[in-house]
Amino acid sequence: MNTSSGSKLDKYLGPLNGPQTMGRRLPFWLGFLVVIALLALAPEYLRRYDIINFSNFLISGFLALSLSLIWGYCGILSLGQAAFFGIGGYAYGIVALNLLNLHGNTDVAFIAGIIVPVIFAAIIGGIMFYARLRGVYIAILMLVVSLLIGMFMRQTADPSYTLGEAYLGGMNGLRPASASAPLLPSLIFGIGDSVIELDGRSVSFYYFVLGLLTITYLGLRCLVNSSYGYILVGCRENPDRTETFGYDVRLIQLSVFCLAAAIAGLSGVLYTAWGTYIHPDGFGVGPNILVVIWVAVGGRKDLGCALIGALVLEWASLRLVSEGEIALLVLGAILVFAMLLAPRGLAITLADYFNKAELLLRARLSTGNGVSRKNEE
Amino acid sequence: MNRPESNTKYEKNILRANGLVRVYGGVRALDGLDLEIERDKIHCIIGPNGAGKSTFFKMLMGIEKPTSGKVIFDGKDVTRLPTYARARLGMAIKFQAMQVFQELSVYQNLFIPLRRHYKPRDISGQAKSLLNQLHLEGTEEVTVGDLSHGQQQWLAIGMSLAAEPTLLLLDEPTAGMSQDETRLTSSIIQKLNHDGVTVVVIEHDMEFIRNLNSTTSVLHYGQLFAQGTFSEIEQNDEVRRIYMGTL
Repeated sequence: MNTSSGSKLDKYLGPLNGPQTMGRRLPFWLGFLVVIALLALAPEYLRRYDIINFSNFLISGFLALSLSLIWGYCGILSLGQAAFFGIGGYAYGIVALNLLNLHGNTDVAFIAGIIVPVIFAAIIGGIMFYARLRGVYIAILMLVVSLLIGMFMRQTADPSYTLGEAYLGGMNGLRPASASAPLLPSLIFGIGDSVIELDGRSVSFYYFVLGLLTITYLGLRCLVNSSYGYILVGCRENPDRTETFGYDVRLIQLSVFCLAAAIAGLSGVLYTAWGTYIHPDGFGVGPNILVVIWVAVGGRKDLGCALIGALVLEWASLRLVSEGEIALLVLGAILVFAMLLAPRGLAITLADYFNKAELLLRARLSTGNGVSRKNEE
Repeated sequence: MNRPESNTKYEKNILRANGLVRVYGGVRALDGLDLEIERDKIHCIIGPNGAGKSTFFKMLMGIEKPTSGKVIFDGKDVTRLPTYARARLGMAIKFQAMQVFQELSVYQNLFIPLRRHYKPRDISGQAKSLLNQLHLEGTEEVTVGDLSHGQQQWLAIGMSLAAEPTLLLLDEPTAGMSQDETRLTSSIIQKLNHDGVTVVVIEHDMEFIRNLNSTTSVLHYGQLFAQGTFSEIEQNDEVRRIYMGTL
């Protein structure tokens, strides 16, 4: 799209590259391939237990991408992004419990876990954006919405809270309503009679999540570097100004909010399938703020940096938990210093330095070549 | 430039404000303002601070809704329309505060308004021709925050132009510009008008308005105080009095 600053690489990677994402040149894409290769080979050199945990980290990645999309690119900070994660997880579970015996697969449940959060986002987002709510009001409203859902789900321990074969189960989380109902399943995809089952603790599940995350990341890269992405950024920088060009900012905000809800919902579906459980704690303050921390520490204005933030912090907190409670304080201190040192995000700041160093090096090399050519003449 | 066909070709005035009132708390920022803007002309609006000039522009563009009164654009009542709908009808504005996307490149700044009318592959050429028009050649890749104040003002005008309006509202386009830059701005506005854009300008710089030499309206306490050619306004003792001799 933008011809003058691109490289030869742009010719092949066209829609993936653009000013809205960092890492456009060869070193980035080589690094990207190395990371994918390392993750793909992880089952070869990591223990089974680690692979199970890695699946969970990758699942968090979707949630980080969804918040980066609305907050980093469109300027909508939501402190309730985990609500869509929870809604997606519950929707998947409820539909799966009801339809598994009937269909023998979780295809419909998988789709429901994405669609239901979108419907919910369309309703709440429609109200918020068409009322022209902005900034901190949206952030707090979304947190309150999430807490309210959590509060409701917590008090559903009474056996009357059943939806068909699904019993909401209050604090204990979603479970089958009767002995004849199936247990909350992992992913089971089926076409006709052939069925592929992806147990949450299996390597195939890990590969499935890794593949989906890669596709989602690359897909979002294309999106934010498209015309739509430019307009999202316009809405972030100055919504009033963007509207004076004839864009219905409310509709743009609503559309990206719904898309982010779909991705967060997918995250919830995968989480429920991974652990075969879903409970109301996910709607609480902690999980909601955690998403904001991942994205802020990584760098909200770049999808990749937000993703790195989520993966690294999830990995670090799991490592530190095994070292005892004091370690979490250490993690907290690291976060505070990260925000002080690099308010735009650690990964973004590092990437910036790397970029500058590379450009400097290129400039040096090209002037060096120029000199040698002159000498030859 | 290809502009949308106007609804009522025979209507002489592209814009009419009828009895516009806007009350903030106890203050009547606009107090029954009636004003008509002739099609294809330049129209200047002057008035002391607090006369309601910027409020008037915000009403026109739908940034704020009037307490009462009507805004008629191209024969259509737009009083209740949201900003984006007015923009689609052909109105554009450059606010008093410079509204460029500071963190983005010049190209991206122009891409956003241009994308409403052009396919992505045509935008590069359109951006280039706009930048030539605005004396900003070759700045596509510059981050807007690194441009000079005057260049940012021109870019802000250029972004409004990229929306291809029939009516362009400019709130203090020369604020903070050097004399040379002000002269250039004046010629840019005259060129635009020549190309068929109706331009309404709010300004404090009297040299600039004298140079544009167009119909001038004086706002005072939220009402139309006087109207005429600039020389008529200059001779008007009442206007001189409210300006306390600054003319």
